[in-house]
Amino acid sequence: MKKYITIGLALTAGLTAVALQTSPAQAQSMTSGKLKACFIYVGPTGDIGWTYAHDQARLAAVKALPWLDTKYVESVPEGQALPAIDRLVADKCQVIFTTSFGYMDDTLAAAKKYPNVIFAHAAGYKRNANMATYMADFYQVFYLNGLVAGALTKSGKVGFVGTYPIPELKRHLSAFALGVLAANPKAEVDVKWLNSWFDPAKTREASEALLSEGSDVLTSSEDSATGVQTAAAKKVPTFSHYNSMYKFSPDYVVSGHIVHWDKIYIDFLTKVHNGTYTTKNLVNVDYWWLLNKGAVEMGADNGVAINPKYVAQLKAAKMTVAGKSVSVYDRLMQLTADMKSAKPTFDPYAGPIKDRKGVLRVPAGKTMSIADLNNMAWVAPGVKGDVADEPKK
Amino acid sequence: MHELLDALFRALAFGTPLLLASLGAIVNERAGVVNLGVEGMMALGALSGFAVAYGGGMGGNLWLAILAAMAAGAAAALLHAFVTITMRANQFVSGLALTLLGLGVAGLLGKKFEGFPLFNQPPQWPFTAGAIVLALVLAFVLQSTRLGLTLRSIGENPAAADVLGLNVTLFRYLAVAFGGALAGLAGAYLSLVYRPSWTDGMTAGLGWIAVALVIFVGWSPVRAIFGAIFFGLLYYLQFRLQGQSPIPTEFFSAMPYLLVIVVLAIAGLRGQQGSAPESLGLPYTRGER
Repeated sequence: MKKYITIGLALTAGLTAVALQTSPAQAQSMTSGKLKACFIYVGPTGDIGWTYAHDQARLAAVKALPWLDTKYVESVPEGQALPAIDRLVADKCQVIFTTSFGYMDDTLAAAKKYPNVIFAHAAGYKRNANMATYMADFYQVFYLNGLVAGALTKSGKVGFVGTYPIPELKRHLSAFALGVLAANPKAEVDVKWLNSWFDPAKTREASEALLSEGSDVLTSSEDSATGVQTAAAKKVPTFSHYNSMYKFSPDYVVSGHIVHWDKIYIDFLTKVHNGTYTTKNLVNVDYWWLLNKGAVEMGADNGVAINPKYVAQLKAAKMTVAGKSVSVYDRLMQLTADMKSAKPTFDPYAGPIKDRKGVLRVPAGKTMSIADLNNMAWVAPGVKGDVADEPKK
Repeated sequence: MHELLDALFRALAFGTPLLLASLGAIVNERAGVVNLGVEGMMALGALSGFAVAYGGGMGGNLWLAILAAMAAGAAAALLHAFVTITMRANQFVSGLALTLLGLGVAGLLGKKFEGFPLFNQPPQWPFTAGAIVLALVLAFVLQSTRLGLTLRSIGENPAAADVLGLNVTLFRYLAVAFGGALAGLAGAYLSLVYRPSWTDGMTAGLGWIAVALVIFVGWSPVRAIFGAIFFGLLYYLQFRLQGQSPIPTEFFSAMPYLLVIVVLAIAGLRGQQGSAPESLGLPYTRGER
């Protein structure tokens, strides 16, 4: 019996270790006399997704800014950022970027504990005199990708592999669904949740389940390229996520949502370096960078908005805009150009928009504010499947 | 009918690495050695297999890739064998250490393979069919051959086996290496077939499920086939049923963990202590006991 208890305990310990994604911290080389910026990552730098994108941006910043020195710690569990921050402060980091939503409260606590260090937290909403927030958000790009998916689906079912049903994902899923419906009012977006940021096996089976239920276009918000690979194996159009995943499936990656965190990092660090940002004036500094700042991009690959293999098909697909029939491709290009311009006139969340239960969420003439987008609980029409924490009315 | 076939195919696809890894674990546990390092050995196998198959982007030899994965798993297992059989350290602690070591080493060495697709992908069915055949062969060997009898007697009563002139240390080493080789093969399945690419942490707990599976099936290779399919089915259904049953999403995401607990509880209730090798987890010292 004792043997079983020991095995049981060991299993529990092992599963917990896996769940927490613990792995040894990695340190980057450092020299003195430069501005030292340090990064805390939630996943491994090699996840090909969220953390990989942040780390590529860190490398790009190092390349662009000769006075910059960096260091990073990876696979830090959410809610355990404080000890990592303590260590980085002891290592004389002057700017600390914490790159996951779950680090928000720890970052704020650290900002209060270390008033002489500059903090910047990604994807959150709490700020301090020495703590800014930043986010490169995809909701516009998800809408554009939704147009593509709506135009390409023959079964009228588009699959969406979601990570956690939090506001960020609801915002992206709903924008995607609004795009799908704009191009194809009869289509639906089927969602399956993983409740994990990174789990290739779950992504594989969730994708297989969506395909088995009839989806013929797939997109995934998980951090690996598994969604793309699964779609490719079943010859189904799909989308790059965070980074270019074009090389994983040159025939089936149609477009995608690609992030360029380096735009934000370089801007922020330059302003710290030239004294614009100090430990006293960050309470209102919130980067919410979208298409027109170049922080995000619609694309199958960097610089390739639509895979050339699908251009003809998208040109032939028609959708109705303000009573007129236009090609989906032209609409995509027109909206992309608009949202990339200094003063965009189009927003996916411009009212009137009802949620999938018929409640009016955005009145006519209004657009959702950043705060609304950050607190979004409802989901758009066209979304099929369970969505946790959805308001009843 | 189509739905059922779909579910069965997915259960087999997900269950194949579980079956391979747990067959390996059954053999080393039948010889009396617990190795909780399955997750780490799988990660090492996944990386080695991918590295060789990738072959610098040109596409390497898939047979070599599979051999490399098995060799990496076996090498890691031999480390465990040395620590626990020769040095007589605690098998549970050594196994946990091996998991952490394997994941860490694979993550570190794997950095340069991250983000690359694998185009020379082997088909799935030889792995699945091979795993099932292997389970049947192992069942026969363990039950009906001299080798199987030797192995089991060493797991049940190493002192008696020693008196009979069997080399306990040698057989335990071989059994542990065999377990490692199969864990490595399971890893190669993940990085070559199941999701043909390498990423840090891609085993994501599958090794632990394999460890639990061994107890669930009561150290029987034949039952391991059904156990692996059962786990695969439940794993697939957590997504297939999502949105189509009144059970909330969060419940499904807790499924693998709940499963392990349920499985251990069932194993306990069925009194499977009886089918566990008597000396499982105990180091053997000649002359003691």
